[in-house]
Amino acid sequence: MKKEMICIVCPVGCHLEIDENLKVQNNKCKRGEVYAKKEILNPTRMLTSTVRINSKHQARVSVKTTDAIPKQSMFKIMEMLDDVALEVPVNLGDVVIKNVLDTGIDIVVTMSLKA
Amino acid sequence: MYDFIVIGAGISGALITRELSKYQGSVLLLEKENDVGNHATIANSAIVHSGHDPEPNSLKAQLCVRGNALYEVLEKELNIPLLRTGAFVLAHDKEEEATLDMLYRRSKTNKVPDVHYLSIEEARTLEPNLSDSVTKVLSLPSTKVTYPWEVALSAVENAIMNGAEFRKNQTVTSIDYKDGIFVVKVNKDECLHARFVINASGAFADQVAAMLEQEVPYKITPRRGEYFVLDRRVKGFINRTLYPVPTDKGKGVLLVPQVHGNILIGPNSVFQDSKQDITNTKDGLNYVKEEASRLAKDIPYNQVIRTFTGIRATSTYKDFYISSSKAYPQFIHVAGIDSPGLTAAPAIAEYVVNDLIKKLTPLVRKTNFNPYREKIKMFHDMTPEEKKEAFKNEPRYGRLICKCEKVTEGDVIQHIHRIIPGDTVKGVKKRARAGSGICQGGYCEVDVIKLISKELNIPLKSVNYYHQDTPILLKETKVKK
Amino acid sequence: MYDVVVIGGGAAGLAAIHSAYDPTLKLLLIEREKTLGGILKQCIHNGFGLHHYKEELTGPEYAERGILSVKDLSFETMLDTTVADVEKKSDIFHITIMNTELGEAVIQAKTVILSTGCYERTRGAIQLPGTRPKGIMPAGSAQRYLNIDGYLVGKKVFILGSGDIGLIMARRMRLEGAEVLGVAEIMPYSNGLTRNIVQCLHDFDIPLYLSHTITDIKGIETLEAITISEVDTHFQPIAGTEKTFEVDTLLLSVGLIPDIKMFDSLKFDVSSLTNGAIVDQRYQTSIPGLFACGNALHVHDLVDFVTEESEKAGRFAKDYVLKTKAEKRQLITIDPGDKVRYVLPQYLDITQNFDETVLSLRATESALRGTFNIHQGETLIHSKKARFVAPAEMERLVLKRSDLVSEAPLKVSFEVGT
Repeated sequence: MKKEMICIVCPVGCHLEIDENLKVQNNKCKRGEVYAKKEILNPTRMLTSTVRINSKHQARVSVKTTDAIPKQSMFKIMEMLDDVALEVPVNLGDVVIKNVLDTGIDIVVTMSLKA
Repeated sequence: MYDFIVIGAGISGALITRELSKYQGSVLLLEKENDVGNHATIANSAIVHSGHDPEPNSLKAQLCVRGNALYEVLEKELNIPLLRTGAFVLAHDKEEEATLDMLYRRSKTNKVPDVHYLSIEEARTLEPNLSDSVTKVLSLPSTKVTYPWEVALSAVENAIMNGAEFRKNQTVTSIDYKDGIFVVKVNKDECLHARFVINASGAFADQVAAMLEQEVPYKITPRRGEYFVLDRRVKGFINRTLYPVPTDKGKGVLLVPQVHGNILIGPNSVFQDSKQDITNTKDGLNYVKEEASRLAKDIPYNQVIRTFTGIRATSTYKDFYISSSKAYPQFIHVAGIDSPGLTAAPAIAEYVVNDLIKKLTPLVRKTNFNPYREKIKMFHDMTPEEKKEAFKNEPRYGRLICKCEKVTEGDVIQHIHRIIPGDTVKGVKKRARAGSGICQGGYCEVDVIKLISKELNIPLKSVNYYHQDTPILLKETKVKK
Repeated sequence: MYDVVVIGGGAAGLAAIHSAYDPTLKLLLIEREKTLGGILKQCIHNGFGLHHYKEELTGPEYAERGILSVKDLSFETMLDTTVADVEKKSDIFHITIMNTELGEAVIQAKTVILSTGCYERTRGAIQLPGTRPKGIMPAGSAQRYLNIDGYLVGKKVFILGSGDIGLIMARRMRLEGAEVLGVAEIMPYSNGLTRNIVQCLHDFDIPLYLSHTITDIKGIETLEAITISEVDTHFQPIAGTEKTFEVDTLLLSVGLIPDIKMFDSLKFDVSSLTNGAIVDQRYQTSIPGLFACGNALHVHDLVDFVTEESEKAGRFAKDYVLKTKAEKRQLITIDPGDKVRYVLPQYLDITQNFDETVLSLRATESALRGTFNIHQGETLIHSKKARFVAPAEMERLVLKRSDLVSEAPLKVSFEVGT
């Protein structure tokens, strides 16, 4: 079965096709092939979201993964964030969840909020 | 047991309630929506017509001319805005000029004051953006513009000050008549009793009447009218209402300067089945544009901030149907109140009380009736001294939340705690204008929601947009499972 | 009397005050919210800063860099303060400010920088047909409610407009548990970055309906359904192509407009192409001493360029105020020509010393390859080849003083092909 995808490595946006043997077609360059294979074998994404905080300015504070996490774990991590409640002050970079789902990646605060 | 129950807090019901509150006896005003004037009263052209148009000797003609004069009284008593703009009726060819002549004669018969013709040159000096195709102009100096919704609100608030009772979110579900008393059931459970019922339920008048009457002498045939609203910065593009000559379909598409500086363009006129469907259609708006081009040139459509639709409660009866029921004289129909209903409303109230109710029962004037209702002065409109004083007492006047229309937090708070509270996002918009500008609430909506929540001590997700059960903040995120 | 007052403490205002800073000058930054950072605070996704900081940041992180950059500079900041009006009287700006400490007060300034950002185009402005129930709002408002206040505005969502805010919100609402039924775009191409199409829509199987617009909205009190239709090449709906979606929320991502109309007494020339002020290469408006930058000047797709532009505006404002002699401007126009939607600045002040200046512009069509040309009068004075040109992406040309051959107006055009 062939899978179609748009390459996002550069602005050309090749419409790639990749089959079950990981043969990539319609790519104009080698980077497209690497992208397509990674999207099949180990797709990863940066995840940004929020967690609860008791700041008087805002009810949520923004967080992110320190690196791209496996794509299929996004919803699982979203659920884990429901259990986090922070208290001011927080500083940009404060770790909210360490080594999330054993990925070696942390969830950190992306905004400083004073008490 | 009430002496009077008025059904419907549109402009007619509001002014009738206020008129009744001048007399001894108990008055209850019922409204099915969660605020006054949510239907035709908020969505119309806002013109206090001179009375040039209705057929002579009709109730419309009589009450329109009288109503126009009564707005001068309401302005003083209720502190409602009233712009003395005047109006032009514009003809484009010989045939239309003949209609203009007919209107001129009709105005004279209807006793409209000061009507006169203007030369094209004179008209253009006054209205430089008049369309080039205009051939003859009839001037109607007594035409005015008001803010109809505020008229209804202030009338109900003044009635409440004088002892009337107002209940919102009350849908009348049945009306019976037993032993000389009306039994009005609301929301299918509570029974209210009254000696008189005044049915001022607008587009729903025939349905409400049918709860009691075997045969209702009219049927409401709702007529949609669509409008464009231009930003207040177009103020001065036109200075008075511009009418085309009327046709059998009504007064036609108009250009109307509004009290807050905006300009309204519309309405079209389309019969529809629904009494609530306020759909804007592409065809309708295109028609409005096309017709409006006959009135003025180079209309700045790039300044449109909103489009809306109103429903006229046109009835199958040619005139207003304002009359005691044949079978139950204490049940009073106030129906078919389409144009010039807004203008006529104060005269309708007078007529209902003086010409209908007083014929059936003696009424005694209250000695302590207070006709005045203070307006909430917006911070922006205050003098420097008033601003200082207001800020000293309420520091939140210092926080500007709607920068398009210059509305402060203090202004909004005043309206949230008024006799009839502005307790929804649109309720605040209608009262304080927060969200009426170019960004249409993009900036201030969040502040308004938070203020309502804080001031009325209700959760954020209970603050409604407009109607009951319409929260904007629907579901909190990141809640522990 | 302030030397420079910057109105708006977002990315633009922070960059402007940073570069306007001079120990001899009295500066003031006014921000309507209780914290600095502006709209970036609610743009919690990443993708910011690649040009300016050479690393990928989230919106709040980018904002915090800007805040840190001015931390050690001594200037005044007024938070929770809104400017109600600005008026220029005999060379001095009178700025009416409002806050809960002073009430209404007037301050004076020699120069003013408008960095007030932009607002979202509303359904009224695009004259969307249908009813007007609860549940229809600009995507940015929904973003604020979600990311700052912690509330979802709906459970079943459709999005009109494929600009990046719309795409980002499709993913955000989906991740927070809402169902996103689709995105409609009236143009035959998306206005968003390919990466956002892939990672915000494809990742979550959210369909994108190109060449579609909304032709009906149903629901009296609460939104019940929307109908989309395919449009022809003149953007007219094609009968028979209707698709109806039962949703409780419709988010609009249909454009941003510079937010500069709120100062009733400040009358400067405004471009009908950008909806922002008309400026010269120093970002000075038609009112001497009044500068504009960032999204208040023209809507940018990358904040990095907001920062770059605003730093220049701040520097020029500083130069303006430090100069003692009154200036005379001699302006030549820079007009958009064939296949160019707008060019900014709209004027070149040739009395000014400058080696080069950056022209920002947008093409009217997409092309894999093409050439941007600058003509002065009939003479071609500058040419630049470009790849992957798209209307949604701002292009930049460097115009050198030495390129000029006369005092004739300039025209910038785009030629598709090699």
